[in-house]
Amino acid sequence: MTTPAATAPLRRDGLGWYLYGVAAADEASARLGAGLAAGTVQGIDLVAEGPLVGVTSRVSLQEFAEPALPERLRDTTWLEQMIRTHEQVLERVLEDASVVPCRFCSVYRSEAELRRFLSERREVLQAALDRVRGRVEVGVKAFIDRDRFAAGRARQNEDVRQQETQVSSAEGGRAYLERRRFEQLVASELERFRGEAADRLHTRLLAAAEDGLALPLQAPELSGREEEMVFNGAYLVTADRGAFEQALASLGRDFRDDGVELELTGPWPAYNFVPEELGAE
Amino acid sequence: MSMSEQQTLRQQVTLIELVDRVLNKGVVVSGDITLSVAGVDLVYVGLRVLLSSVATLEEPRERISATGATP
Repeated sequence: MTTPAATAPLRRDGLGWYLYGVAAADEASARLGAGLAAGTVQGIDLVAEGPLVGVTSRVSLQEFAEPALPERLRDTTWLEQMIRTHEQVLERVLEDASVVPCRFCSVYRSEAELRRFLSERREVLQAALDRVRGRVEVGVKAFIDRDRFAAGRARQNEDVRQQETQVSSAEGGRAYLERRRFEQLVASELERFRGEAADRLHTRLLAAAEDGLALPLQAPELSGREEEMVFNGAYLVTADRGAFEQALASLGRDFRDDGVELELTGPWPAYNFVPEELGAE
Repeated sequence: MSMSEQQTLRQQVTLIELVDRVLNKGVVVSGDITLSVAGVDLVYVGLRVLLSSVATLEEPRERISATGATP
């Protein structure tokens, strides 16, 4: 009786294969030589299987398999370092070749299993590679300064302007109430504007990109900025990014007086533009 | 904020962007891998701790401005 591959015993040398991403063999093998290193990873191994290569490094299964892994994942220093390493390796590859990024901590116990994945999912991986070839992902976030919005854009609304007059002519207790009413009007105008700004940004940026999607907004404590986030998007753009950055600069000028500031991040590996699940075998 | 604090803040912000992508996006591989579906939940346990430590960076500044606003 033969042992099924899925329950094969651990290799004696105790090393697994961390798979960072998948690239095209012709492109990667020609441009990425041996001894490739990034961040803390000294040896990036390209495991070729047919027309694809897995971008891998050998990792200790003592570190990356049970029972140690669950503990490791609770160790924030380790987690942060691994997240950064994952990105550094992919960015290094991205300098020279297109790459389909894999999810964090994709670690195979054996080379045979890694090769089986590359060969069985070849078609769908190739389709994913075709989609990202010669392209990168960029992130665009928009933040709004409430004070600048209240002092500028909000006054385009007639109710806001009228209420401002009420505030300046009111005295005593009524002045407080009129001011409260003014603030409420500005807040509802801001609420309306947020949606409109997000729509306009996404439409214009999408037209200048190959693809794009609106992502959930980040909470203020995570964005690192005091201003409120009004838009968060990811775009797949050609590697030169010329048309996209032009569109972004033009939007930046259009929105500046409204109190909106745009922030560009990347280039990233195309995390948001590869399929999450590769479908049934 | 000092230069080094700004630097730290920028690094932490990049970390958020990274976490969004590296942990939530990208191809989910199949086969005999060491991180089971149950294990993925554990990533989020660590992640919450990691992100809350990032978020606390903002607190001192908040406190200063709150104190400053009080007459």
